Amino acid sequence: MNWSCVQLEERLSDYLENALSESEQREFRAHADSCPRCAPLVAQVSRMLGSLHSLEFEPVPPMLASKILDLTLGPRKKKIEWLKWVPILWQPRFATGLVTVLATALIIFHATGGVKKSKLTLADFNPIAIIQSANSQAHLAFARGVKFVNDLRVVYEIQSRLQPASSGTPGQQTPSATPSQQKPPNQSQQNRLTQDSFAEVAALIANARLRSAP
Amino acid sequence: MEADAQLVQRCLKGDGPAWEELVRRHSRRVYNLCYRFTSNSSEAEDLTQDVFLRIYRTLASYRTAYGGFPTWLTSVTRNLLVDHYRRSRRDRMTDALEDVLPVVEEKHSPVRTPDKAAMAQELSAQVQSALAKLSPELREAIILRDLQGLEYTEIQQVLSVPEGTVKSRINRGRIELARILQEMGVGPS
Repeated sequence: MNWSCVQLEERLSDYLENALSESEQREFRAHADSCPRCAPLVAQVSRMLGSLHSLEFEPVPPMLASKILDLTLGPRKKKIEWLKWVPILWQPRFATGLVTVLATALIIFHATGGVKKSKLTLADFNPIAIIQSANSQAHLAFARGVKFVNDLRVVYEIQSRLQPASSGTPGQQTPSATPSQQKPPNQSQQNRLTQDSFAEVAALIANARLRSAP
Repeated sequence: MEADAQLVQRCLKGDGPAWEELVRRHSRRVYNLCYRFTSNSSEAEDLTQDVFLRIYRTLASYRTAYGGFPTWLTSVTRNLLVDHYRRSRRDRMTDALEDVLPVVEEKHSPVRTPDKAAMAQELSAQVQSALAKLSPELREAIILRDLQGLEYTEIQQVLSVPEGTVKSRINRGRIELARILQEMGVGPS
Protein backbone atom coordinates (compact mmCIF):
# COMPACT_ATOMS: atom_id res chain seq x y z
CA MET A 1 0.00 0.00 0.00
CA ASN A 2 1.40 3.40 -0.97
CA TRP A 3 1.09 6.12 1.64
CA SER A 4 -0.47 9.49 0.84
CA CYS A 5 0.93 12.89 1.91
CA VAL A 6 -1.75 13.13 4.63
CA GLN A 7 -0.79 9.74 6.04
CA LEU A 8 2.86 10.73 6.09
CA GLU A 9 2.10 13.98 7.95
CA GLU A 10 0.01 12.12 10.52
CA ARG A 11 2.77 9.65 11.27
CA LEU A 12 5.70 12.05 10.99
CA SER A 13 6.37 12.22 14.77
CA ASP A 14 6.12 8.43 15.06
CA TYR A 15 8.72 8.12 12.32
CA LEU A 16 11.05 10.66 13.97
CA GLU A 17 10.68 8.91 17.34
CA ASN A 18 11.25 5.43 15.82
CA ALA A 19 7.72 4.35 16.80
CA LEU A 20 6.84 2.86 13.41
CA SER A 21 6.96 -0.84 12.62
CA GLU A 22 9.49 -1.99 10.03
CA SER A 23 6.90 -2.23 7.27
CA GLU A 24 5.45 1.20 8.15
CA GLN A 25 8.92 2.66 8.12
CA ARG A 26 9.54 1.25 4.63
CA GLU A 27 6.26 2.72 3.37
CA PHE A 28 7.07 6.05 4.99
CA ARG A 29 10.55 6.21 3.43
CA ALA A 30 9.23 5.11 0.04
CA HIS A 31 6.76 8.00 -0.03
CA ALA A 32 9.13 10.58 1.51
CA ASP A 33 11.87 9.79 -1.02
CA SER A 34 9.57 10.13 -4.02
CA CYS A 35 7.35 13.07 -2.95
CA PRO A 36 8.72 16.56 -3.73
CA ARG A 37 6.41 18.09 -1.08
CA CYS A 38 7.01 15.64 1.78
CA ALA A 39 10.80 15.19 1.47
CA PRO A 40 11.63 18.78 2.53
CA LEU A 41 8.96 18.65 5.23
CA VAL A 42 10.54 15.60 6.86
CA ALA A 43 13.98 17.23 6.68
CA GLN A 44 12.68 20.53 8.13
CA VAL A 45 10.84 18.96 11.06
CA SER A 46 13.73 16.62 11.77
CA ARG A 47 16.23 19.51 11.88
CA MET A 48 13.89 21.66 13.95
CA LEU A 49 13.44 18.84 16.47
CA GLY A 50 17.21 18.53 16.79
CA SER A 51 17.42 22.26 17.47
CA LEU A 52 14.62 22.16 20.05
CA HIS A 53 16.26 19.29 21.90
CA SER A 54 19.58 21.12 21.90
CA LEU A 55 18.11 24.17 23.61
CA GLU A 56 19.10 24.61 27.21
CA PHE A 57 16.93 25.99 29.97
CA GLU A 58 16.78 29.75 30.18
CA PRO A 59 18.63 31.15 33.20
CA VAL A 60 16.37 31.69 36.18
CA PRO A 61 16.18 35.18 37.76
CA PRO A 62 18.73 35.19 40.60
CA MET A 63 16.40 35.88 43.51
CA LEU A 64 13.49 33.71 42.35
CA ALA A 65 13.97 30.85 44.84
CA SER A 66 14.44 33.32 47.70
CA LYS A 67 11.27 35.20 46.73
CA ILE A 68 9.30 31.94 46.65
CA LEU A 69 10.65 30.91 50.05
CA ASP A 70 9.88 34.32 51.52
CA LEU A 71 6.38 34.09 50.08
CA THR A 72 5.73 30.61 51.47
CA LEU A 73 7.82 30.27 54.63
CA GLY A 74 7.82 33.97 55.49
CA PRO A 75 10.85 36.27 55.70
CA ARG A 76 13.85 34.28 56.84
CA LYS A 77 17.04 35.27 58.57
CA LYS A 78 19.69 36.09 56.01
CA LYS A 79 22.55 33.65 56.23
CA ILE A 80 25.88 35.31 56.80
CA GLU A 81 27.61 34.73 53.50
CA TRP A 82 31.17 34.74 54.80
CA LEU A 83 30.42 31.95 57.25
CA LYS A 84 30.45 29.47 54.38
CA TRP A 85 34.21 30.10 54.04
CA VAL A 86 34.93 28.92 57.58
CA PRO A 87 34.78 25.15 56.88
CA ILE A 88 36.90 25.65 53.76
CA LEU A 89 39.56 27.69 55.57
CA TRP A 90 39.58 25.20 58.41
CA GLN A 91 40.98 22.46 56.16
CA PRO A 92 44.57 21.52 57.16
CA ARG A 93 46.13 22.77 53.91
CA PHE A 94 44.67 26.26 54.36
CA ALA A 95 44.85 26.32 58.18
CA THR A 96 48.62 25.59 58.16
CA GLY A 97 49.26 28.38 55.69
CA LEU A 98 47.06 30.73 57.67
CA VAL A 99 48.89 29.99 60.93
CA THR A 100 52.26 30.52 59.18
CA VAL A 101 51.14 33.88 57.81
CA LEU A 102 49.83 34.94 61.23
CA ALA A 103 53.07 33.87 62.94
CA THR A 104 55.13 35.80 60.37
CA ALA A 105 52.95 38.85 60.84
CA LEU A 106 53.33 38.56 64.60
CA ILE A 107 57.14 38.34 64.34
CA ILE A 108 57.29 41.38 62.05
CA PHE A 109 54.90 43.23 64.33
CA HIS A 110 57.02 42.41 67.34
CA ALA A 111 60.24 43.26 65.51
CA THR A 112 58.93 46.65 64.52
CA GLY A 113 58.19 47.36 68.15
CA GLY A 114 54.44 46.94 67.92
CA VAL A 115 52.01 49.72 67.30
CA LYS A 116 51.81 52.62 69.67
CA LYS A 117 48.48 54.25 68.99
CA SER A 118 49.43 57.60 70.39
CA LYS A 119 52.54 57.87 68.22
CA LEU A 120 51.14 56.26 65.09
CA THR A 121 51.57 58.38 61.97
CA LEU A 122 51.11 57.79 58.27
CA ALA A 123 54.89 57.60 57.87
CA ASP A 124 54.93 54.45 60.04
CA PHE A 125 53.22 52.55 57.23
CA ASN A 126 56.02 53.36 54.81
CA PRO A 127 57.65 50.01 53.86
CA ILE A 128 61.14 51.55 54.10
CA ALA A 129 60.44 52.76 57.64
CA ILE A 130 59.10 49.31 58.59
CA ILE A 131 62.20 47.56 57.19
CA GLN A 132 64.57 50.02 58.90
CA SER A 133 62.74 49.61 62.18
CA ALA A 134 62.78 45.79 61.84
CA ASN A 135 66.52 45.94 61.03
CA SER A 136 67.41 48.08 64.07
CA GLN A 137 65.17 45.91 66.30
CA ALA A 138 66.91 42.77 65.01
CA HIS A 139 70.37 44.27 65.70
CA LEU A 140 69.27 45.39 69.16
CA ALA A 141 67.91 41.90 69.91
CA PHE A 142 71.23 40.38 68.74
CA ALA A 143 73.27 42.80 70.90
CA ARG A 144 71.10 42.01 73.92
CA GLY A 145 71.62 38.31 73.30
CA VAL A 146 75.42 38.74 73.09
CA LYS A 147 75.43 40.80 76.30
CA PHE A 148 73.32 38.17 78.05
CA VAL A 149 75.73 35.38 77.06
CA ASN A 150 78.74 37.45 78.20
CA ASP A 151 77.08 38.24 81.51
CA LEU A 152 76.27 34.60 81.99
CA ARG A 153 79.90 33.67 81.38
CA VAL A 154 81.02 36.22 83.97
CA VAL A 155 78.54 34.89 86.49
CA TYR A 156 79.78 31.32 85.99
CA GLU A 157 83.36 32.50 86.29
CA ILE A 158 82.56 34.32 89.55
CA GLN A 159 80.79 31.24 90.86
CA SER A 160 83.74 29.04 89.98
CA ARG A 161 86.19 31.49 91.65
CA LEU A 162 84.10 31.82 94.77
CA GLN A 163 83.53 28.10 95.15
CA PRO A 164 87.12 27.21 96.31
CA ALA A 165 86.89 29.97 98.93
CA SER A 166 83.65 28.77 100.42
CA SER A 167 84.09 25.03 99.78
CA GLY A 168 87.37 23.08 99.72
CA THR A 169 85.82 20.15 97.87
CA PRO A 170 84.45 21.25 94.51
CA GLY A 171 81.96 18.92 93.00
CA GLN A 172 80.52 18.04 96.39
CA GLN A 173 77.29 19.43 97.76
CA THR A 174 77.18 23.06 98.91
CA PRO A 175 78.56 23.86 102.36
CA SER A 176 75.23 24.98 103.63
CA ALA A 177 73.75 21.62 102.73
CA THR A 178 76.26 19.56 104.70
CA PRO A 179 78.17 21.80 107.06
CA SER A 180 78.83 19.11 109.62
CA GLN A 181 80.69 16.82 107.19
CA GLN A 182 83.44 19.37 106.36
CA LYS A 183 86.44 20.44 108.27
CA PRO A 184 86.23 24.25 108.75
CA PRO A 185 89.36 26.11 107.38
CA ASN A 186 91.57 28.32 109.46
CA GLN A 187 89.93 31.79 110.00
CA SER A 188 92.83 34.02 108.73
CA GLN A 189 93.41 31.72 105.73
CA GLN A 190 89.74 31.94 104.81
CA ASN A 191 89.73 35.75 105.02
CA ARG A 192 92.79 36.04 102.73
CA LEU A 193 91.27 33.70 100.15
CA THR A 194 88.00 35.64 100.12
CA GLN A 195 89.77 38.97 99.67
CA ASP A 196 91.78 37.60 96.73
CA SER A 197 88.64 36.18 95.13
CA PHE A 198 86.76 39.45 95.49
CA ALA A 199 89.63 41.34 93.87
CA GLU A 200 89.59 38.90 90.92
CA VAL A 201 85.84 39.15 90.59
CA ALA A 202 85.97 42.94 90.61
CA ALA A 203 88.57 42.83 87.83
CA LEU A 204 86.42 40.40 85.84
CA ILE A 205 83.31 42.57 86.15
CA ALA A 206 85.30 45.62 85.05
CA ASN A 207 86.55 43.66 82.01
CA ALA A 208 83.07 42.41 81.19
CA ARG A 209 81.68 45.94 81.36
CA LEU A 210 84.37 47.17 79.04
CA ARG A 211 83.63 44.35 76.56
CA SER A 212 79.86 44.77 76.55
CA ALA A 213 79.96 48.56 76.35
CA PRO A 214 78.58 49.68 72.93
CA MET B 1 19.49 12.58 46.39
CA GLU B 2 16.32 12.32 48.45
CA ALA B 3 13.19 11.46 46.47
CA ASP B 4 10.57 14.16 45.92
CA ALA B 5 7.88 12.08 47.66
CA GLN B 6 10.02 11.91 50.83
CA LEU B 7 10.63 15.64 50.70
CA VAL B 8 6.90 16.22 50.38
CA GLN B 9 6.30 14.07 53.47
CA ARG B 10 8.87 16.08 55.40
CA CYS B 11 7.26 19.33 54.20
CA LEU B 12 3.91 18.16 55.50
CA LYS B 13 5.51 17.72 58.93
CA GLY B 14 6.59 21.35 58.79
CA ASP B 15 10.18 20.79 57.67
CA GLY B 16 11.29 24.11 56.11
CA PRO B 17 14.59 22.88 54.61
CA ALA B 18 12.70 20.10 52.76
CA TRP B 19 10.46 22.70 51.13
CA GLU B 20 13.50 24.80 50.30
CA GLU B 21 15.07 21.78 48.59
CA LEU B 22 11.90 21.17 46.55
CA VAL B 23 11.81 24.81 45.46
CA ARG B 24 15.47 24.85 44.47
CA ARG B 25 15.13 21.54 42.63
CA HIS B 26 12.08 22.45 40.53
CA SER B 27 11.92 26.24 40.20
CA ARG B 28 14.09 26.21 37.07
CA ARG B 29 11.80 23.79 35.23
CA VAL B 30 8.64 25.67 36.25
CA TYR B 31 10.14 29.04 35.33
CA ASN B 32 11.17 27.76 31.89
CA LEU B 33 7.74 26.28 31.26
CA CYS B 34 6.17 29.65 32.13
CA TYR B 35 8.73 31.57 30.10
CA ARG B 36 8.28 29.43 26.98
CA PHE B 37 4.54 29.85 27.25
CA THR B 38 4.38 33.58 27.98
CA SER B 39 7.57 34.79 26.22
CA ASN B 40 8.01 37.27 29.05
CA SER B 41 10.54 36.80 31.85
CA SER B 42 8.75 39.08 34.30
CA GLU B 43 5.40 37.32 33.81
CA ALA B 44 7.17 33.97 34.00
CA GLU B 45 8.74 34.94 37.32
CA ASP B 46 5.41 36.04 38.79
CA LEU B 47 3.70 32.89 37.54
CA THR B 48 6.45 30.69 38.99
CA GLN B 49 5.88 32.30 42.37
CA ASP B 50 2.13 31.72 42.04
CA VAL B 51 2.72 28.08 41.14
CA PHE B 52 4.85 27.42 44.20
CA LEU B 53 2.46 29.30 46.44
CA ARG B 54 -0.39 27.11 45.22
CA ILE B 55 1.75 23.97 45.55
CA TYR B 56 2.64 24.96 49.12
CA ARG B 57 -0.98 25.47 50.05
CA THR B 58 -2.23 22.27 48.43
CA LEU B 59 0.71 20.02 49.22
CA ALA B 60 -1.44 17.87 51.47
CA SER B 61 -3.62 16.96 48.49
CA TYR B 62 -0.68 15.48 46.57
CA ARG B 63 -0.88 11.71 46.19
CA THR B 64 1.73 9.57 44.49
CA ALA B 65 -1.17 8.01 42.58
CA TYR B 66 -1.29 11.23 40.52
CA GLY B 67 2.13 10.36 39.15
CA GLY B 68 5.49 11.79 40.05
CA PHE B 69 5.81 15.09 41.85
CA PRO B 70 7.16 16.81 38.68
CA THR B 71 4.04 15.71 36.77
CA TRP B 72 1.77 17.12 39.46
CA LEU B 73 3.83 20.31 39.54
CA THR B 74 3.55 20.59 35.75
CA SER B 75 -0.24 20.09 35.95
CA VAL B 76 -0.57 22.92 38.48
CA THR B 77 1.68 25.12 36.34
CA ARG B 78 -0.29 24.33 33.22
CA ASN B 79 -3.60 25.17 34.93
CA LEU B 80 -2.22 28.50 36.08
CA LEU B 81 -0.86 29.18 32.59
CA VAL B 82 -4.27 28.49 31.08
CA ASP B 83 -5.88 30.88 33.61
CA HIS B 84 -3.22 33.45 32.82
CA TYR B 85 -3.74 33.04 29.08
CA ARG B 86 -7.52 33.47 29.39
CA ARG B 87 -7.07 36.52 31.58
CA SER B 88 -4.53 38.14 29.28
CA ARG B 89 -6.63 37.31 26.17
CA ARG B 90 -9.59 39.10 27.75
CA ASP B 91 -7.33 42.05 28.48
CA ARG B 92 -6.01 42.06 24.93
CA MET B 93 -9.52 42.39 23.46
CA THR B 94 -9.31 46.11 24.15
CA ASP B 95 -5.71 46.47 23.03
CA ALA B 96 -4.42 47.59 19.67
CA LEU B 97 -3.95 44.99 16.97
CA GLU B 98 -0.17 45.04 17.20
CA ASP B 99 -0.42 44.04 20.85
CA VAL B 100 -2.50 40.96 20.16
CA LEU B 101 0.44 38.72 19.36
CA PRO B 102 2.72 38.00 22.30
CA VAL B 103 5.83 40.12 22.18
CA VAL B 104 9.02 38.19 22.38
CA GLU B 105 11.67 39.83 24.48
CA GLU B 106 14.81 40.75 22.61
CA LYS B 107 17.36 38.52 24.24
CA HIS B 108 19.89 38.38 21.44
CA SER B 109 22.36 40.79 20.01
CA PRO B 110 21.52 42.09 16.53
CA VAL B 111 25.09 41.39 15.49
CA ARG B 112 25.74 37.74 14.76
CA THR B 113 28.86 36.35 16.34
CA PRO B 114 30.44 32.99 15.74
CA ASP B 115 30.36 32.37 19.47
CA LYS B 116 28.45 29.17 20.28
CA ALA B 117 26.70 30.62 23.31
CA ALA B 118 25.52 33.64 21.30
CA MET B 119 24.24 31.36 18.54
CA ALA B 120 22.38 29.21 21.04
CA GLN B 121 20.85 32.32 22.58
CA GLU B 122 19.78 33.54 19.16
CA LEU B 123 18.24 30.19 18.26
CA SER B 124 16.43 30.16 21.60
CA ALA B 125 14.95 33.59 20.89
CA GLN B 126 13.89 32.55 17.37
CA VAL B 127 12.23 29.39 18.65
CA GLN B 128 10.52 31.46 21.33
CA SER B 129 9.26 33.85 18.69
CA ALA B 130 7.93 30.98 16.60
CA LEU B 131 6.32 29.30 19.62
CA ALA B 132 4.45 32.50 20.39
CA LYS B 133 2.75 32.21 16.98
CA LEU B 134 1.45 28.70 17.67
CA SER B 135 -2.00 28.16 19.11
CA PRO B 136 -1.90 27.64 22.92
CA GLU B 137 -2.93 23.98 22.60
CA LEU B 138 -0.15 23.11 20.19
CA ARG B 139 2.32 25.35 22.02
CA GLU B 140 1.86 23.67 25.39
CA ALA B 141 2.10 20.22 23.83
CA ILE B 142 5.39 21.10 22.12
CA ILE B 143 6.82 22.78 25.23
CA LEU B 144 5.98 19.81 27.43
CA ARG B 145 7.30 17.20 25.00
CA ASP B 146 10.25 18.82 23.25
CA LEU B 147 11.46 21.46 25.71
CA GLN B 148 10.57 19.89 29.04
CA GLY B 149 11.12 16.30 27.92
CA LEU B 150 7.94 14.79 29.41
CA GLU B 151 6.72 11.34 28.37
CA TYR B 152 3.42 10.99 26.48
CA THR B 153 1.71 9.46 29.51
CA GLU B 154 2.85 12.36 31.70
CA ILE B 155 1.59 14.91 29.16
CA GLN B 156 -1.68 13.00 29.03
CA GLN B 157 -1.98 13.39 32.81
CA VAL B 158 -1.02 17.05 32.75
CA LEU B 159 -3.40 18.00 29.94
CA SER B 160 -6.13 15.55 30.94
CA VAL B 161 -6.71 14.49 27.35
CA PRO B 162 -6.44 11.05 25.67
CA GLU B 163 -3.05 9.88 24.45
CA GLY B 164 -4.20 10.04 20.83
CA THR B 165 -4.99 13.73 21.23
CA VAL B 166 -1.61 14.37 22.83
CA LYS B 167 0.20 12.67 19.96
CA SER B 168 -1.86 14.48 17.37
CA ARG B 169 -1.23 17.89 18.98
CA ILE B 170 2.50 17.26 19.22
CA ASN B 171 2.68 16.12 15.61
CA ARG B 172 0.69 19.08 14.30
CA GLY B 173 2.61 21.45 16.55
CA ARG B 174 5.95 20.26 15.21
CA ILE B 175 4.90 20.62 11.58
CA GLU B 176 3.42 24.06 12.24
CA LEU B 177 6.50 25.22 14.17
CA ALA B 178 8.84 24.06 11.41
CA ARG B 179 6.72 25.95 8.89
CA ILE B 180 6.80 29.15 10.98
CA LEU B 181 10.57 28.91 11.42
CA GLN B 182 10.92 28.36 7.68
CA GLU B 183 8.86 31.50 7.02
CA MET B 184 11.03 33.41 9.47
CA GLY B 185 14.03 32.40 7.41
CA VAL B 186 15.47 30.34 10.23
CA GLY B 187 17.28 27.31 8.95
CA PRO B 188 17.95 25.20 12.03
CA SER B 189 21.19 23.33 11.61
